[in-house]
Amino acid sequence: MNTLLLLLAGFFLPLFPLSMAFNWLLGRFSHPVIRVALILVWPQIGVLLVLAAGVPLSGSVFLWWGLITAVFYAWRLLTVRELGQWAAMLATSAFALTWVMAANGAWVVDLHASVIGFAVAPALLVVVAMLLERRLGAAYSGLVTGMARDIPRLAGLITVVLLAAMALPISPGFFVMLTMLFGSDPAPVIVALLTWLLWSWAGTRLLRDTVFGPRNDKNIADLPVAQAWAFAGVIVAAVVLNLIWTGV
Amino acid sequence: MVKLQWLIPLLPVISALLVHLLAGRIGKRVAQLSVGMGVVTFLVALWQIVVYIASDQGPSWLGIGASWGSVYLDPLSAIMALVVAGFSLIVHIYSVRYMAEEPGYARFFMLLDLMTASILLFVTAGDLITLLIAWHLVSVMMYFLLGQNTESRPGERYAFWTFLTYRIGDLPLVLAAVLLFQAYGALDFPTLFDRLMADPHTEVLGMPAAITAAGLIAVSAFAKSAQFPLHTWLPYTMDGPTPVSALMHAGIVNAGGIIINRFAPAFVNADGVLHLLFVVGLLTAVIGSVLMLTQNDIKKSLGYSTMGQMGFMIMECGVGAFSLAVFHLIAHGMFKATMFLSSGDLIGDARRHDDVPQNPLYTFLVDRKTGKPTRLPWLAIGLVTLIVPLVILLLAHWAVSPDFFQKQGAIVLLFFGWITGVQVLFATHRLDATNPVRMMLMILLSFALIVIGYSIIGHTFETFLYPDAAFREALYHAAGLDAVTFDGLVILLGLIVLVGWIGSYLASREESLFGNRFTELRLTLYSLISRELYIADLYERLSQALLEGSKRINVWMRWR
Repeated sequence: MNTLLLLLAGFFLPLFPLSMAFNWLLGRFSHPVIRVALILVWPQIGVLLVLAAGVPLSGSVFLWWGLITAVFYAWRLLTVRELGQWAAMLATSAFALTWVMAANGAWVVDLHASVIGFAVAPALLVVVAMLLERRLGAAYSGLVTGMARDIPRLAGLITVVLLAAMALPISPGFFVMLTMLFGSDPAPVIVALLTWLLWSWAGTRLLRDTVFGPRNDKNIADLPVAQAWAFAGVIVAAVVLNLIWTGV
Repeated sequence: MVKLQWLIPLLPVISALLVHLLAGRIGKRVAQLSVGMGVVTFLVALWQIVVYIASDQGPSWLGIGASWGSVYLDPLSAIMALVVAGFSLIVHIYSVRYMAEEPGYARFFMLLDLMTASILLFVTAGDLITLLIAWHLVSVMMYFLLGQNTESRPGERYAFWTFLTYRIGDLPLVLAAVLLFQAYGALDFPTLFDRLMADPHTEVLGMPAAITAAGLIAVSAFAKSAQFPLHTWLPYTMDGPTPVSALMHAGIVNAGGIIINRFAPAFVNADGVLHLLFVVGLLTAVIGSVLMLTQNDIKKSLGYSTMGQMGFMIMECGVGAFSLAVFHLIAHGMFKATMFLSSGDLIGDARRHDDVPQNPLYTFLVDRKTGKPTRLPWLAIGLVTLIVPLVILLLAHWAVSPDFFQKQGAIVLLFFGWITGVQVLFATHRLDATNPVRMMLMILLSFALIVIGYSIIGHTFETFLYPDAAFREALYHAAGLDAVTFDGLVILLGLIVLVGWIGSYLASREESLFGNRFTELRLTLYSLISRELYIADLYERLSQALLEGSKRINVWMRWR
């Protein structure tokens, strides 16, 4: 086990405070393509570094460092209102859990696939934030409420993406969590479950301040039908791929 | 036959998809489509249970995937699928007109179908992963159904409370599944339960797997079935549409009893956990009933009534009467569904006509006034109400199962049945009647019929759900206490009931057992109960502290 390599991996599978670099980078770039690329590629570098250092990491300090980072960012997520920033913190929290899989000695393919599974929701959230920014000038929760009545298609997309962000069935995040937990010891499982609970709390707070609430008088354009179907296709594809990966 | 089982959760999913896709074209007629699919689902569930009983082949399991995705057909899943499909159909039919003026009509039916599918998948799941998916989906669907009126702030707030409590209930089940899988190396229920029964003392990291898993499943059941202190969401869900309240109080809240029955092989090897179930159930039944007394909102009052009933259901599991808990949840579901749907009508009527209905029953129940005093002597009535329920209960159970009295759990249940019977008879004999003797006889006859019917059906149900007599015996045995503790508890309970009766008698004569000495304490107690023991306020304070901490740390770290 190479500790230096693992420390380097701590930047990519973000461990607090090294995680601040990832969050800073995501905030630095405003273009959604760069943000999505960063979310998809950044943790894969971390996986490569962890594998190079050698797995399993059982008994390693990195396992608990990852877990504490995950629960810490999940707690901080509760009061974040800017959607792009929310996506970054969710990604940080989720990617930090990869250390649990590494500690369990997960297969190489499983490690890469898990990170992709965790990255789906934050990546889609970046796209949702972009769609809101184009319509409202900013993507803050609470800026415009009652989207369920005013712009039902976009509200539907936000809802589905937030459900995926909370790692609820049958999103990829749900199966990644299950795969990780079924191979872990009870103590890490409890911390991971606490993280999961906080994601749900934070996600519903975001739903409350966007989709629910009284209607606005603002005239906002809804998502075009073709785009809504395209997003539905992407989400269905992600779900189907995950179902195949998990053995159905 | 098992392939038919797949149709049961699948049909409502198809219905939801059709409702969503066709809503734009056929408008409100999607409701008929949804009801039609509900009828088909119910018929399939009915056909399945008939075939299951007729074929007499025992449980069967079928999976579609390599590692998960399966359904299990056994007495529990067959009966629960029928019950869920039935309740869901009633709620669907009622909603067609009730929800007609509400916004999001098609969305409501789509969500109702998805909720039905989730519960049906939950009761028919054949492996741990499928069960977990269904268990989590019920939480999600509940959230959106309760928040059906997306513009209502209170509606969303209470939907959120429910969701968060349900999540607290979701996660221990995940941990239990992890432990069971690591201990026995199987996901599918038949293999898992066979291995568990063969070696119930397997340990994982020094912990007994069966007992730990049973404890975690119990915590899950407590959250989903509103057990104290995880009950606060239940009475506050009334801002959701009435059909959703009916579905929740009649069906969803029973999930706790079902999950305990599903994992009966773990509980039969976890006697300490059964005792915990009994204590928590008892506390919930008492607290729910006490809190119900101070409510002046009909739906909230029914909410606390459900909490009390759920307490009884968990308590029944705690004394080893697993099948009785299932029978109870079905019976409770039937009357609570109709009561909620009626209360919706009643509220509607009250909004249209502000005159309060006046009839003898209302005067008796709400104004707390009796009509003309009955001519029956109080002492005679006292003796009749004490002795007759006891005789009827003992005879009814002796007739269907003479060995019933050798089980401690059965004695506890008879004790509760007796006290309930006494209270019912004692309260109703004061009703206004032209011929009080005839009325009393009719009440006694009704009581006898109910008890005899309940005993026969209950015992038949027990042999259907748990055909293995040795397993039934083991459940009661696991729930048992040592003789000294048991006798001591019975005497203590007897004394509490006796003091209660004396207090109740003195209160009816406008006297008090202790004079004015405890007035201040009584007022404090009353304010505590009317504020629902401040438990919701405590949770609110805790969550505010967590949010405040989160905000401060984010500001300090510049949101990085």
